[in-house]
Order: sequence, then structure tokens, then C-alpha cells
Amino acid sequence: MTALIIAAVVVLILVLMYNSLVGKKNQVENIFGGIDTQLKKRYDLIPNLVASVQQYMQHERTLLEKVTELRTQAMNPRLSDEKKMALDHQISGMLGSIMVAVENYPELKANENVMHLQQTLHEVEEQIAAARRAYNQAVTDYNNAIEMVPTNFMAQWMGYTRKPVFEISETQREAVDVKALFDR
Amino acid sequence: MKSTSELTDFYYKTLYPDLKTIEEERLRLKSKLTTTFAFIGLIAAIVMYGIYDATGTLNDGIFIIGFIAVAIGGVVYKMTVRDYTQTFKQKVIRPLVRAIDEQLSYQPEGMVGQMRFERSGLFRRSIDRYGGNDYVRGEIDGVPIEFSDLHAQYQTKDSKGNTHWHTIFQGLFIVSEFNKHFKGTTYVLPDSAQKSFGTLIGQWLQSTTGSHGELVKMDDPEFEKHFVVYASDQIEARYILTPSLMERLNRIRKRSKAELYIAFVSSHLYLGISTKRDLFEPSVFQSLLRLEQAMEYIGYLHLAIGMVEELKLNQKLWSKS
Repeated sequence: MTALIIAAVVVLILVLMYNSLVGKKNQVENIFGGIDTQLKKRYDLIPNLVASVQQYMQHERTLLEKVTELRTQAMNPRLSDEKKMALDHQISGMLGSIMVAVENYPELKANENVMHLQQTLHEVEEQIAAARRAYNQAVTDYNNAIEMVPTNFMAQWMGYTRKPVFEISETQREAVDVKALFDR
Repeated sequence: MKSTSELTDFYYKTLYPDLKTIEEERLRLKSKLTTTFAFIGLIAAIVMYGIYDATGTLNDGIFIIGFIAVAIGGVVYKMTVRDYTQTFKQKVIRPLVRAIDEQLSYQPEGMVGQMRFERSGLFRRSIDRYGGNDYVRGEIDGVPIEFSDLHAQYQTKDSKGNTHWHTIFQGLFIVSEFNKHFKGTTYVLPDSAQKSFGTLIGQWLQSTTGSHGELVKMDDPEFEKHFVVYASDQIEARYILTPSLMERLNRIRKRSKAELYIAFVSSHLYLGISTKRDLFEPSVFQSLLRLEQAMEYIGYLHLAIGMVEELKLNQKLWSKS
């Protein structure tokens, strides 16, 4: 009888550990889905933005071409998560540079369409920043679980491995502040 | 908006003539109350001694007399200071509110409605007694804001059938429009579990006892130490609580020196500062000219009205307009 109870308790603990690990992995995937939605929203804005500014921005032609090309790569549905994150990092930086460059063109600064795009972009950036932070927390929880005793044994058996977190540089922690650029 | 030091100047310079008359009134009341209390105390003592002398025991009668004396004292106090309190609010609090922003309206007897308070969802217990005063409402930089002192209670009955009142919330309650659009609910509550049980056990307790939603771990260590966040959506909670907003809430926490209860519900921000007492009341036994007293009135008004600026609620995002 005692042996039976001990066995039952052990099984229960194993099931709980297993479920908590699966829960954490799904949380990471779930939130990555959230980032994906926001990233797509931003990718959708890029052609619009490029079309609105390219006739003025002759000097930044290569920058615009590059960002369009990166966007096409990023839209590829078969991309791995790591690759997606790396591309996003590059695109963020480039959009930032374009926004700064807009400052040099008074016609663009006054253009309502461009202004609208910038504000939308700012909004999406805020959403992306939030999703990234949520993702990093979920990954940290997941990584902790697969490295800490006792769940690490279970994780090894399940073949779970560490996941990378998004690198959030100081400039990116605060999304590109388009409004501040305008107010200058 | 005026700074607290400018307001202190306003208090001691512009309001000085009024403060002086109110102060004279206060001293008159103080001596009147002292005499009345002494008289009530003396009568009660005589009657109590009389009963003790006649019966020779410490019976219920003595306690009843004592209780009646205290009750009479309380009623006398309330009646005596009623006019004084009104004058104080009209002559001191109202001009202070106006000095901060002319467009704000002040109603000494008004309060944030119970529906509003309940809609925040911060306190889930059903309310049996609800009261408040010192209601301020208006717009700051186009952002609607209202706040007042509130006291919400519930009652319980013990086995002897006696009623006991317990406080759900007492303090300053502020409602304002939030500058971002969101669908779910996010709650920021004082972190009692993590403080008393440490990070690991505290977080486990928090994650198992969430009636306000899913536990959200935030990435600001100071914020995370003092608050616990529950939300319906992990991403949305972080969309609302940006690193800079968390820093600002840290500052408000330090300034208010009280526990904060914050809710983000249907595009509104609800902030409860649990001071555990009635603010903006004149004291009869302490001078109104004391700096600490003045700073308390000014400090809380400035904190509440300054919220819009401090939390940048006036910077609307495009999606909101």
C-alpha cells in the first residue's frame, strides 16, 4: 500500500513538472506569435514609407533599397526565430536612420502622409518593445526551468534547450521617439 | 503647473490673512473644547464614583457611563468643529486647488462615485459603507481627471451579534483618462508577498493567488520589489507599463509614502493612495501655520493634480485620437 502511494506521488510530481515545462515552452511560443503580429504590422508600413520619401531622399537611396530588401527577406514564412530576430534588429536600426534623415528634408517633415506614417510607426514600435520585453521574460522563465533542479532532468529527457533572448540596447528600450524628433 | 515651493509661498503669503482669522477661531475652539471635555469628564467621574460607592463593585453601569461620556464628547467635537471645517475648506483648500489650476472645480462634500470606484476592480470585496469628501474634478491639459478622499468599508458580525466595521480602502482615489488604447485589464498592487517571503516563495505565492489576472513579472527591479502586476495580457501589460512609466510610478510611490493601488481598465487609470486617514481636514489641536501641516495639504493636492504631467497622460498616442 505504502509503495503504491509513493509511486502515485512520484508520478504526480513528474506529471506536474512535465506540464509546467510544456506550459513555459508554449508561453514563449505564444508571445513570439505576438511579436510576429507586430513585426508584420511594421513590415506593412515599410513600402508605404519608402514610397512617400524616396523622391525626396536621393542621398539615402541605398538605405531605402536595403531596408526594402531586408523586408522581403523578413517576410519569408520559413524563417527561423533566430534569423527573424536578427533581421528585426537590423530593420529597427535602419528605420531609425531614415527617421533621422527625414529631418533634413523640410518638405517631408511637413508632409501629412509622412507624419501619419511616422506616428503609426511609433505606435507599432511601442507595441514591439512591449512584446519583446514579454518575450524575454517568458524565455527567462523557460531557461530557468530547464537549468534548475529538478526540472532540468526532465527538460533534458524532453530535449528542451535554452532559447536566446532579444538583445535590447538602450536606444531600443525606448522605441524610436518620432514625436520628439518632430518637436525639435 | 506651479511647483510645491511656489504653492507653499502662496499658502503663507496670499492665504495668510485668512489663515490668521481661521487660526484665531481655532484657538477659541480649542479652549472651548478643552473646557467642555474637562466638564464632561468631571461629571462622568462623579457619576461613576457615585455608582461604585453605592454598589461597591465595578459593574456594567460604570462602563456604560464611561461609554456615554465618550460618545457625547465625540458629538460635541463634531458639532463644534463643523463650521470651522467648512470655513477652512472654503478659505484654504479651495484657493489652493484654484492656485494649481483655475479650471478645476472643488466640492468639499462631493466624492468619486461608488460605481467608478467599483469599476476599477481594485478591491473585490462588496462594500457596506461608502463615503468621502474633498472632491476635485476638471481637465488638465485636456485630460479629464477627478479625485477625492474615500473610505470604503465592509461589516462583519461576530458570534455575539456585534457589528464590526473593516476598512477596504481609505485614502485618496484618483481617476484619469489614460493616453493609450488597450483592451484588457492591468493591475499594479503593493507587493506584500514578495516583501515578507522573499523573491522565490513570494513569486510562487503571487502566481497562485491571482484574482486580478495572470502574474506579470516586470523588468524594473525597483518596481518589481514594491509592486506586483496582474494582467489579462502579458504584452499589453508591458505596452502600458513602459520602462519610463514604471520609473515615474516609483517616484510617485516614494512621494506619497503610502501603498499604491493602480488599475488600468477601459482606457482609464485608477490610482488609490492608501493613506489610511482622511486628508485635507483641519486640525483643532495643531496650528494651521505649521509647515508640516501646510506641506501635507499642498503635497497631496500637488501629487494628485500633477499626475497628468508626471505620467505624461497628456501625450496622446495617435491610435487614441
